[in-house]
Amino acid sequence: MKKALVIGGGLHGLSTALHLARTPGWQVTLLERRHVGRHSSGVNAGGVRRLGRALPEIALSVIAAEMWHGIEALVGDDCGFRATGQVKVAESEADMAKNHARVAQVRALGWTHEEVVDQAEVRRLLPAVSRHVVGAIVTRDDGSADPMRTVMAFRRAAEQAGVVIREGVAVTGLDRTADGSIRVQTDQGEFEAERVANCAGAWAPDLAALAGETIPCGTKASMMIVTERLPHFVDPTVGATARALSFKQTAAGTVVIGGGHQGRNDKVAETSSVLFGSLAFAAQIAAQIFPCVAGARIIRTWTGTEARPPDDMPVIGESRSLPGLFHSFGFSGHGFQLSPAAGAAVAELMARGATNLPIAPFTQDRFTVPA
Amino acid sequence: MKVVVVGAGPAGIRAVEQLVRAGVTPIWIEEGADGGGRITQRPPAGFSRSHAALYGADAGRAKRLHATLDALKARVDWRPDTLVWNIRPDAKVLHILANGAAQDEVAYGALILCTGAMDRVLPLPGWNLPGATTLGGAQVALKSQGVGVGANPVLIGTGPLLWLTALQYAKAGAKPAAVLDTTDFLTKARFGAGMLWNVPTLLRGMGLYAQLKLRGVKLHEDITPLAIEGVDNVTAVHWRDAAWKEHVTPCDAVAMGWGLKPEAQLADLAGVPFDYDATQQNWVPRKDAAGRSPMAGVYLAGDGAGIGGVDVAELGGARAALALLADAKLPSDMALSKHLDGRLRTERRFRAALEQAFPYPARLAARMEDSTSVCRCEVITAGELRAAAAADAPELNRAKAFSRIGMGRCQGRLCGTPAAAVLARALQVEVPEVGRLRGQPPVKPVPLQQVG
Repeated sequence: MKKALVIGGGLHGLSTALHLARTPGWQVTLLERRHVGRHSSGVNAGGVRRLGRALPEIALSVIAAEMWHGIEALVGDDCGFRATGQVKVAESEADMAKNHARVAQVRALGWTHEEVVDQAEVRRLLPAVSRHVVGAIVTRDDGSADPMRTVMAFRRAAEQAGVVIREGVAVTGLDRTADGSIRVQTDQGEFEAERVANCAGAWAPDLAALAGETIPCGTKASMMIVTERLPHFVDPTVGATARALSFKQTAAGTVVIGGGHQGRNDKVAETSSVLFGSLAFAAQIAAQIFPCVAGARIIRTWTGTEARPPDDMPVIGESRSLPGLFHSFGFSGHGFQLSPAAGAAVAELMARGATNLPIAPFTQDRFTVPA
Repeated sequence: MKVVVVGAGPAGIRAVEQLVRAGVTPIWIEEGADGGGRITQRPPAGFSRSHAALYGADAGRAKRLHATLDALKARVDWRPDTLVWNIRPDAKVLHILANGAAQDEVAYGALILCTGAMDRVLPLPGWNLPGATTLGGAQVALKSQGVGVGANPVLIGTGPLLWLTALQYAKAGAKPAAVLDTTDFLTKARFGAGMLWNVPTLLRGMGLYAQLKLRGVKLHEDITPLAIEGVDNVTAVHWRDAAWKEHVTPCDAVAMGWGLKPEAQLADLAGVPFDYDATQQNWVPRKDAAGRSPMAGVYLAGDGAGIGGVDVAELGGARAALALLADAKLPSDMALSKHLDGRLRTERRFRAALEQAFPYPARLAARMEDSTSVCRCEVITAGELRAAAAADAPELNRAKAFSRIGMGRCQGRLCGTPAAAVLARALQVEVPEVGRLRGQPPVKPVPLQQVG
């Protein structure tokens, strides 16, 4: 058996470990500094969305969408996935013009999942939407899932596939041994493996640096608001063309409001916290698009920390300074949906050095090699 | 220096009194329409029951506190009907919501938190039926609304508040169907001696007991509550006596409470660390004997700083204000500080005995049936919580993430204590090892449109 290590117990680490452990011949150990799903994996909005993806991400996202529709076969649990659709509303004719241009661009690449709809259809899809909304882009079989449940399902599946998960192990160094393996130093001793995955989220660029590689990357702490339970009024997850919004009513009736409004991040303390100025802004947008939530009360707010490269796209690829180390991080607030497919791609890269999955746009070379 | 006092119960009143005496004009924030606290809760204007009728043995204290409160209002920046729902310790700012609508920020140089306490509950089958409330809730209804929770309530729990509430209901014309105490007589007697540290309070407690007996209220000790029965409203309580005999007591309401827990969410958000106090079986924000928290400029007093009762609240409120004044190099009454320190020491001994005499029945909470709802807001059962433990939740915040316990309106303020007992038993560890639910803003629900 060949040995592999996955560093980071978020969804991408778990998915990578799961797929690699199901590849014959690999014995996988996952190292997590705190506990599985500690940061953004466990607390994100749970959006399962192709709608509005940056063009280079669409191909991987489309494959991930197929995997989500069969998620129970993959991890033995439905992960709370509901294909209730994603809708991005247009609030003006200018927004509609943008929508038409966007969908034309996506269709020109051969993708058909995005569709422009008129006011009548958006009102049919979202009966509670504000009357000023003039139309929307819709992806009807996108949806949302339960993040913590998804993390736990991936964890169980990974363990059943033979992955050994070690929580409370912090990586302190990375180098190569005399026989060509990679040595991972931790606060609990040394590990050696032929292949190592860096899925350490906000802390992944620091691991890359330990391996001698500088990858430009900041952090993100997207805030979420949840209201008390309201009578059921909306099924799809809703965004807006011109404004930052992610809006969803859960099965329990609570409304979860996000949209990438940023809280404060403290990478050293491994915490992030809510900033109420931006929260107010998010609340205001939500109440303008769904007037019925204006009177609702907020019961919780939270943030989760993750990595964000300068172009808001992930870094997936083999280390240039320490071959055998594979990066997968920097999903910039939209990695939840990608996780089943990205994990499969990274596992394949680790096992056989190449993959047919469409991850070429995500190489870290884009920051160092002039286009 | 800008001083903010949060809370206008006995601790807040005595703190502000000392500040004003030293020439400081604090901003004084109170969540309710008026101050007075809970045990000396004030009726709204126009209510006519006398202090004696409302507060019994505490009437004199209530009168003094209310008079001081009223005299101080004009000398400070008095802000009733104002909820502090977040603290940013880095910016030294409070987020407040006035009159349920007006959003604002208040900067502070120093802060005294006198945020009080709430009941500890033991979830029972049926405890979420209409007609079931806490002892504190039953008291507030009587004192601030002039209504009882029922004409024939059953009162269940343990502690002085159980007897006090029963007597107040009896005096107000209700006929308590029964008073069911989960503590046995021997436990109370064993620690009774320790309560000699405060003879007047001990006598007051014994007086309550005697008066209830005189009024013919049925008192049962060492009982095990089994279930609250009802369809649209509470109709009966099922319980078992010390001899293992089962009883059904018909009633029209239930009030329950097993001691108190600090309402310390604001201290948590202010960055104050917490320690588990094994005597009172509560997580308590850290402070020194004078009320200084480890966070510079943040002072704690009253039950929100660890359950001490009304005497400790008054003494601690004054003491924390004097500590604040001394730390700010303002004139403070050193002799009074010394006197208060001595009295607080004595009170702590009394309180320790009291807590031991009326323990929270963690063993009953731990043995709760799988089908019983622990979390009322999200309707999470003990079974679901145990499943979270089995799914590898070594502490309460993980169990919350897995099971949704404590994610609802109350943010775990009510279910936190029993949830810890259930989780600890399921994991076969001691209660403090499962930790406590971390505070998150808003500490109470705030309207979406008014945020920020």
